[in-house]
Amino acid sequence: MTDEAPEGVSSRRAPRIALGGALKQSVLRFGPRSMTRNPVMFVVYVYAIFLAVLTAVPALFPDLTGAGTGFSRSYALAITAILFLTIWFSTLSESVAEAQGRAQAESLRQIRTGTLARRWRPDGTEERIEANRLRKGDVVRVGQTELIPLDGDVIDGAAEIDESMMTGESAAVLRESGGDKTSVLGGSRVLRGRITVRVAVDPGGGFLDRMIRLVEGATREKSPNELALTLLLSAFTIILIVTILTFDFMLSASGVVIVQLSTLLALLVCLMPTTIGGLLPAIGIAAVNRVSYANVVAKSGRAVESAGDLDVLILDKTGTITTGNRIAVELLAAPGIGKETLTEAAALASAYDETPEGRSIVRLAARRGAARSGARPEVAKVLPFTPERRVSGVVLADGHEILKGAVASIVALTGELPPDLDRAAKDAAARGMTPLAVSQDNRALGIVLLKDVVKPGIPDRLRELRMMGIRTIMCTGDNRLTARAIAKESGVDEFVAEARPETKLELVNREKAAGRLVAMTGDGTNDAPALARADVGLAMNSGTSAAKEAGNMVDLDSDPTKILEVVSLGKQLLITRGGLTTFSVTNDVAKYFAILPAIFVGVSGVAFLNVLRFTNPGLAVLATLLFNAIIIPLMIPVALRGAPFRPRTAVELLRNNLLVYGVGGFASAFVGIYALYELLSYLVVSPWIAPTIAAVAHLLGS
Amino acid sequence: MIPTGTLPELILTLLVAAAIAPLMGQYVANVYSGGSSFWEPVVGRIEAAAYWVMGVDPGRPMTWKEYLRALLITDGLAMAFVFVLVQVQAGLPGNALGAPNMSWDLALHTATAFGTNTDYQHYVPETQISQFASLYGLELLMFTSPATGLCVVAALARGFTRRDGRIGNYYVDFVRTLTRILVPLTVLGAIAFVLLGVPETLTQAVHILPLTGGKEVVPLGPVASWDSIEFLGTNGGGFYAANAASPFQNPSAATNFVAILLMTALTFGTPIAFARLVRRPGEALPLVATVVTLFLVGLVLFLAFEGSNPFLPATVNQSSGYLVGAESRFSITESALFQFTSVYTNTGATNMALGSLTPMAQSVLLFGMFMQSTPGGVGTGFGTLLINVVLAVFMGGLMVGRSPEYLGKKIGMAQVKWAAGAILSHPFAILIPTAVAMTVPGVLTSAIGGYTPHGFTVLLYEFTSEAANNGSGMGPINDGTMFFNVVGALVMLVGRYVPLAAMVAIAGSLSTQAPHRPGSGTLKTRSLTFWFFLTAFIVVVTGLLFLPVLALGPFSQIVGGL
Repeated sequence: MTDEAPEGVSSRRAPRIALGGALKQSVLRFGPRSMTRNPVMFVVYVYAIFLAVLTAVPALFPDLTGAGTGFSRSYALAITAILFLTIWFSTLSESVAEAQGRAQAESLRQIRTGTLARRWRPDGTEERIEANRLRKGDVVRVGQTELIPLDGDVIDGAAEIDESMMTGESAAVLRESGGDKTSVLGGSRVLRGRITVRVAVDPGGGFLDRMIRLVEGATREKSPNELALTLLLSAFTIILIVTILTFDFMLSASGVVIVQLSTLLALLVCLMPTTIGGLLPAIGIAAVNRVSYANVVAKSGRAVESAGDLDVLILDKTGTITTGNRIAVELLAAPGIGKETLTEAAALASAYDETPEGRSIVRLAARRGAARSGARPEVAKVLPFTPERRVSGVVLADGHEILKGAVASIVALTGELPPDLDRAAKDAAARGMTPLAVSQDNRALGIVLLKDVVKPGIPDRLRELRMMGIRTIMCTGDNRLTARAIAKESGVDEFVAEARPETKLELVNREKAAGRLVAMTGDGTNDAPALARADVGLAMNSGTSAAKEAGNMVDLDSDPTKILEVVSLGKQLLITRGGLTTFSVTNDVAKYFAILPAIFVGVSGVAFLNVLRFTNPGLAVLATLLFNAIIIPLMIPVALRGAPFRPRTAVELLRNNLLVYGVGGFASAFVGIYALYELLSYLVVSPWIAPTIAAVAHLLGS
Repeated sequence: MIPTGTLPELILTLLVAAAIAPLMGQYVANVYSGGSSFWEPVVGRIEAAAYWVMGVDPGRPMTWKEYLRALLITDGLAMAFVFVLVQVQAGLPGNALGAPNMSWDLALHTATAFGTNTDYQHYVPETQISQFASLYGLELLMFTSPATGLCVVAALARGFTRRDGRIGNYYVDFVRTLTRILVPLTVLGAIAFVLLGVPETLTQAVHILPLTGGKEVVPLGPVASWDSIEFLGTNGGGFYAANAASPFQNPSAATNFVAILLMTALTFGTPIAFARLVRRPGEALPLVATVVTLFLVGLVLFLAFEGSNPFLPATVNQSSGYLVGAESRFSITESALFQFTSVYTNTGATNMALGSLTPMAQSVLLFGMFMQSTPGGVGTGFGTLLINVVLAVFMGGLMVGRSPEYLGKKIGMAQVKWAAGAILSHPFAILIPTAVAMTVPGVLTSAIGGYTPHGFTVLLYEFTSEAANNGSGMGPINDGTMFFNVVGALVMLVGRYVPLAAMVAIAGSLSTQAPHRPGSGTLKTRSLTFWFFLTAFIVVVTGLLFLPVLALGPFSQIVGGL
């Protein structure tokens, strides 16, 4: 394992990659077929080969290498070498990114074994069949310790299942027929119980297969945005080719200076957006990898990009915004009852209540000084919650009966609450809290206020989303009062209370009709249509197959809050592309100032462009070209990890990134080229390298 | 330095121009949003008659393909008419000075030049065009070509506001542009010129007997109205060969002033008109700011480089500026402001000898024509700006991690494709013909007598001026040849119609999208950051593409420091 976790995401780390494999891949990519996939690098590739031939057999091109052309073989060789280096750096970045993906896929594929399945025949008998011969709709039985052959839904029985191979989560999960916890993953193992599963996919179409294919890049399709950028970069490359080609014709017709073809090709390659062109594939692959380290399976790279682009996020209240458990926050005693009495009674009433609400009452009482906190008090009888009485509590050894329950249920036993207490209970309800009454021997002692608790950190996350221009809508089945209170506390922009199962779909449709990009999370079969309709549908792994099938991402951790992380990853993907493109272009500006004076040697009017005061034109060109190559591997970490991203408004982001990538690209190129020039100047005169160059030059007969 | 005493006049001129542009923007927006005019009863009937004659249903909006087809047909017919007219002008009336028929290649170049709003003149007006052909041919094109440009602004605006895939009816836009914008404003301008002493007559020439003996023929004509549409429509073709340096066309500092105002009126007004048409008047700010920045920085540099020539010995008195090539009846500031405005609005009228400018001043003019959105020609300059906006917004969107959008419409593959094509066409149209002219045997020698840095600048200027539909020319160059006529016509057509088609297509591709309400994650274009970004984007991209030729031309002319 490497120690570096990707920014902000921690669930699964980048697997160790086989560097040897990546190196090998990067060389294999030199084949012409794979080169054509990247238009910018393909152009460099063609030039490099052409120049290599020219250097090897100058006699083939007398017009370009003969007397009067200024052709220098050792110089051409150096340029050729740097051009190949440039290409290799690009293929290397892509290979490293893919190797990360492949390592991820490999760890997944280990799960895949030649499973035998027990298929149910319609006549009730069983047959043994290889898992890869199963078809969608088949029904299989899976017993204890057996592997589940393919993704499907439990139609009968219940079992504890180990999904750790896929999700990294070691605790077993419960899956049972009926309800929303029916889906099982192919490759997971039944720990306890036996289930009957209806297969939901054909072999190879399962969840795991899809994940493997995506991280391996086999199904990687370019997203519209990436396509548009590729097109723009290609157009820019074409213009530059025309610019330099026509410049070549003009120069040679003018006869002012004699410029070697190698220099012009070097100028052209330096000006072409090779940095972004070389890293573009790696950026896309790395983004999908980062999503999968977050334990989210994206069904397409496009989904990741859409996530960065959202306008509206529809969030479930329970589980996403709130922990889903109400927690006791306040104790209010009835007039004439001591605070201590109520605290003690509340603690006693909940002492055997194992629900999160009950535990929270005990904890609150303990904080308020209840004596018997923590320990289980001796009681005569425990009165569990029953649907009939709708209260729970204990009968103490001395015969006192202490109860707690909904206000209405306690009132049924005690008669009207004192007016002050009644008002307090109603007020609390109006503020979205849930009042419970506590009674002793049919006399009301006071009330306990329970509150839905917003998850820690959620208000901050929602504020960040608002800053990024993403509107959040909270969806809940609660009444308006409760919903409003939570909405206010968490800071969501809008809420829908008393939501029905179809509410989410209506919301998605409404927002999409207004031309917005919508994301939502969901797990139930009810959610499936909305998940399918949303631009980003993040399904929970614990949910039904239908939901997982409908969504375009699945969260293996089943944590609905994960959608916020996915949004950040999507943004990061776009910013990495934009930032590196800008970097690439402003780099080019600086390169002109190094190369143009080198071309116009002796033309005094152009000398003012020589701001770096280079005296050796040949070295200036080599230094610039070398910088152009070296910047690619230097930027690989940015491409793989993604540009650092902090949520803020778009204008602030633009200003910041213009400074970092625009001005940074401009300045770094000057500094880098200057440093390389000085280094080369030193090497050329150094006692051990100069003779080598001379020897090579001699060998080449230049 | 330019004489400081002339600065108040310069600033006043700019301030008046700045006051007129918003009014003009408002007026233009009103015309395209179907507002009524002060002379509605009359103009409405004229238009109705025009629609009836053309068989147009003014209520039927067009898709972008229909719009573009209508545009091309209209322009094509007008150019074809002039192409024929100038080839038969000798036999037609109104030819008192006996202009001969033009050769087909010169006719092609002339018709294309006026039809594309370039007005590059390979002919000598005094001897090679009849008054009839000039009035009913060239001047016709001087009205239709800016009208075409303005229509595209309206089409672009509709692309952002509509969602039904329709961008308006071209014929309606075209007719309304003529009846409500160009014709009335030209009349106003012509009246001003007449009052300031510019001739306006149907007399074709006067014969005078100078004291020095012999006989002189002074060609005359409706010069004031020609002037008016020449500047207002950023045409720039001269009634006289000397153009605005001629005392008949531009007799005084006052006419010089009016000419500058006419050149800036529509060109600086269009961004404002556009923003009003898309119902977001505030969005004009970053656009105008960008254009004004490019314009003012260029102007300051131009004045600085024309203020004095550092290569002259100190004994030469340059306290009135570097006056070589400037008219003595204007101060250097007046000449330079006119000349600079003319090139940066892609009008192309000249009142100085561009070949006599200092090399860096020539670079400033060339760079303006490379950028084109400075503000550039009527309509098309704005269109070029918008194409840059599309690309800048796309890049900016990537940099803020958000799919790009502008004015509530997403900028995607379709828009980037067209914008890239338009941006691509400009260097193609300049660099390829320049390289060809340098390489084809004989062309270079016959045109500029072989390579010299200045000769190269002149050659580059010729094709740059044609590709940018500017029309100003730098001498000396022998460009009245078959090669320059045919290649030049081609360059002007590519320089005009490829970007125009791209603009209409962008409008069309946007017009099918449902508009989108921007949130805070959307890149706010109405911000200082975006203004800076757009300006830098235009300058950097232009610089990357054209720095080599600037080095080979004007930079190489510099001897011994700037």
